[in-house]
Amino acid sequence: MIATPDVSWIAILPELVLALGAVAVLLVEVQWKPATRVLGVISAIILVVAISFTLLQWIQAGDALEFGGLGTLVAFSGMVVMDGFAVFGRFVLLAMTGLGLLAGWKLIESLNRRGAEAIALVLLATTGFSIMVASNNLVMMFLGLEIGSISLYVLAGMTREKIKADEAAMKYFLLGSFASAIFVYGVALLYAGTGQLEILAIRQFFTEFFVTSPAVILIGLALIIVGLGFKVSAAPFHSWAPDVYQGAPAGVVGYMAAMAKIAGFLAIARILLTGVPQLDANWLPVIAGLSALSMLVGSVVALVQNDVRRMLAYSGVAHAGFILTGIVGGATTGMLFYVTVYAIQLVGAFAVVAVVSGPGSSGSSIDEYRGLARRSPALGAAFAVLLLGMAGLPLTSGFIAKFGVFSEAWANGYGWLVIVALLASVIAFAFYLRVIVVMYMDETEEEAIPVSVTARWVLGIAVVGTVLAGILPAPLIDLAASAFPL
Amino acid sequence: MLTWLIALPVIAAVIVALVPKRLKELHLPLGIALSVLPLALAGYVFWIFEPVAGYQFRQQAVWYEPWGISWSLGIDGISMPMVLLTAILVPISLAASTSITRRTKEFVVYALLLEAGMIGVFLALDLFLFFVFFEAILIPMYFIIGIWGGERRVYAAMKFFIFTAFGSALMLAGIIALAFTHAEQFGSASFALSDLMNLDLATGAERWLFAAFALAFAIKVPLFPLHTWLPDAHTEAPTAGSVLLAGVLLKLGTYGLLRFNLSLFPQASVDAVWIMGTLAVIGIIYGAVVAIVQPDLKRLVAYSSVSHLGFIVLGTFALTSGSLQGAVIQNVNHGLTTGALFLLVGMIYERRHTKQISDFGGLQKVMPVFAGFFLFMVFASIGLPGLNGFVGEFLILIGSFTTLPALTIVAAVGVVLAAIYMLWAYERVFTGVPDKEENRVLSDLSIREISILAPLVILVLVLGLYPKILLDKIAPSTEAVLDHIESQTEFVIPEPGRLGDVFVAGGDQE
Repeated sequence: MIATPDVSWIAILPELVLALGAVAVLLVEVQWKPATRVLGVISAIILVVAISFTLLQWIQAGDALEFGGLGTLVAFSGMVVMDGFAVFGRFVLLAMTGLGLLAGWKLIESLNRRGAEAIALVLLATTGFSIMVASNNLVMMFLGLEIGSISLYVLAGMTREKIKADEAAMKYFLLGSFASAIFVYGVALLYAGTGQLEILAIRQFFTEFFVTSPAVILIGLALIIVGLGFKVSAAPFHSWAPDVYQGAPAGVVGYMAAMAKIAGFLAIARILLTGVPQLDANWLPVIAGLSALSMLVGSVVALVQNDVRRMLAYSGVAHAGFILTGIVGGATTGMLFYVTVYAIQLVGAFAVVAVVSGPGSSGSSIDEYRGLARRSPALGAAFAVLLLGMAGLPLTSGFIAKFGVFSEAWANGYGWLVIVALLASVIAFAFYLRVIVVMYMDETEEEAIPVSVTARWVLGIAVVGTVLAGILPAPLIDLAASAFPL
Repeated sequence: MLTWLIALPVIAAVIVALVPKRLKELHLPLGIALSVLPLALAGYVFWIFEPVAGYQFRQQAVWYEPWGISWSLGIDGISMPMVLLTAILVPISLAASTSITRRTKEFVVYALLLEAGMIGVFLALDLFLFFVFFEAILIPMYFIIGIWGGERRVYAAMKFFIFTAFGSALMLAGIIALAFTHAEQFGSASFALSDLMNLDLATGAERWLFAAFALAFAIKVPLFPLHTWLPDAHTEAPTAGSVLLAGVLLKLGTYGLLRFNLSLFPQASVDAVWIMGTLAVIGIIYGAVVAIVQPDLKRLVAYSSVSHLGFIVLGTFALTSGSLQGAVIQNVNHGLTTGALFLLVGMIYERRHTKQISDFGGLQKVMPVFAGFFLFMVFASIGLPGLNGFVGEFLILIGSFTTLPALTIVAAVGVVLAAIYMLWAYERVFTGVPDKEENRVLSDLSIREISILAPLVILVLVLGLYPKILLDKIAPSTEAVLDHIESQTEFVIPEPGRLGDVFVAGGDQE
């Protein structure tokens, strides 16, 4: 009998299900060539199973926090952890995958036989990002990042007959790999400085030793921040985002953007808050600076965009800044809440883009939205709610999210950042409203746009989620509060 | 009960929204009928309102415990008149909107949601809740201006939104700061107004916070030099939008100054008396002078608002019994008279499709009833004794004289200027011979239009002849504000400025 190593499989069960599921989808496609609908059902089952395992993890993590200690939570010789933070992140990632598949379903159907590839890539991307948020080892984190990112590069070029999509995919790939390389170099320098790759061990290192000249460590940390800053499109590392959002097929942009952001922010938080909290005097000002720059650059440049997708990309830059204020606050509750509600809004907004411009389209001029509220009142209203949610109007989740991260930053002594953030929010109102103006205040003679059932579901969930989390935020905040990293 | 005041308009909006599109004619009447319900409830609240200090009909439910936010409502003598005014103006402005034939359903829905938000602002006793309503109002108003407004409606709507959002952003920073100061001093964050009034703020911090709040409210009022959004918004908004904007939305600013600035930052308020008073007086004179030269009737009324609201701010910061009561009642008065003037301008615009004063002349002969109503409201606006405007301005001026004599004298010039721009406009529009062909065929007011204006005329008369009905209920609450300031600072309200004297002043008019 072969001796099996004693490993806690439960720590990676969702990823196992996802990865095997991706393979299964491809094999089923090759063997039986089923209707796309069947593949949809299969991927739904895979997601449901993965989510169930995540819930199981949540229960287990809760128990372990109560009875065990750190030891029971770290699995695979310190490679992955199973703390509330990872489980929460994984849960959000899986939920967004579900929404993303629904939102992109039209695109997947239009790809015919290559639809299976798209589904498999989506599942693989989720696997990668899911590992990334759960990793305790920086190399493991890099691995997850790459599995996820490479899947996204391919997804961006899925409609390969479209030259715009190819261009977007190429840009995303080149700049993305460059950023990944920078991240890895940062990891190497951090390793050189501390001799550790495990995030918990790095924290331990700083409690045990006093580093007199931490130059190498700081440079490493800076490079890691740059690499991840690229992934979450924080200024000044954001220049890829508008082009990629514009060029990639509308059906997958929301998913792509949401996944990279969720995983990226959670990784930044884990490294900075869990790994090197002792160095916060060094990294807090840097993150605060990035945050302020992102908010201002994102809001101001979004004002002059004539393509809704570029506008959403720059608004994403601004949102990156807002979310970073939560990290400046030194806490993860507000940040987790923000990332969650923003991801939902993002997927919802791009679902609208996919409906209006067509699922495989590249580019969405603001003119396409002229009089949308007259043509398709429900679609216009949904987009308006999502945009106002992103803008952070009270009674939407966006307001609670902003309020949460700003309060944390304020409590941590970064009042100036909060004031910059509030002013940036006002600027942001202007460009969100511009789309609403075009939708509501311009007339059009064009006919209503047909909205597919899947898109209806996505929009329904996104709108209800945005309003509900804005009026009754307590359950989600409590969940986020209990999901702190180790 | 207060929750119902907010819920009723929302429910009404939902009902209207559910009426299918093909029953187009039904939306507006249904909206008007449903908006009478909150009015009835507000009237009932007024009826059983006890003339004592402190909040009545309190309602409290925890919203999110760790942040210390709660659904906390209450009404006192300062907010009660405002709630009543809101409830009165919404059905009237809806009834005056028959000219809106395009997208009627949406219009009614937005107006009703706006009503819910406005009432919410006046009732909220939790700063977080207050801010939620304060911001939420912007969206329906933005749509009302932007969809049903005039030529440059999109520009005006955007300007309105960005100006106000800018102010409230800084106020939000102030609110967060207050909540955290509470957490530092008492161990837990709280947004309740009653908790935050007990904070022990350092002088510097208090001044900054005062400035953050004052900026938000000053933009809303609007106080000189932050008024530039107002003429655009007013001119471009549809009639109902202008009525609600002038009648209620501007009052959010004066109400906020009175409710939050004076109570939360007593020391800073006392220190800022001169600054705020001076800005108010500049606004009074500036608004009046600019109003004189306006060629557009609606713009003229808009600038007259800048002037009138200057009086209210002056009264608020003069910090005497008379001036505060005057400020509160002038809030109501201005809502009624300016609302009526905007309605009248809207009625003539529907007939002639112009608001330029030079396009009119001699209308008195053609439309005697219209001219009568207009003249009545002009008199109410410039403060003819016996009408409501007199009560408010007189109380403010006499109350302010004890603490800010110099400014009050200058402000009094504004009363004269008001007579100039109002009567001159009246002269150019109504007197003389109707020399333009188009003006000769204008029809006079219909029964419907008269019945829209009649309630306002009655209220103007009632408040002008017997202001005690409202003042008795206002006075205890404004006294409480002054007591709070006196207990927190070394400021002593001069003896003639205290209660007894005012009732003599009030008695003069009875």
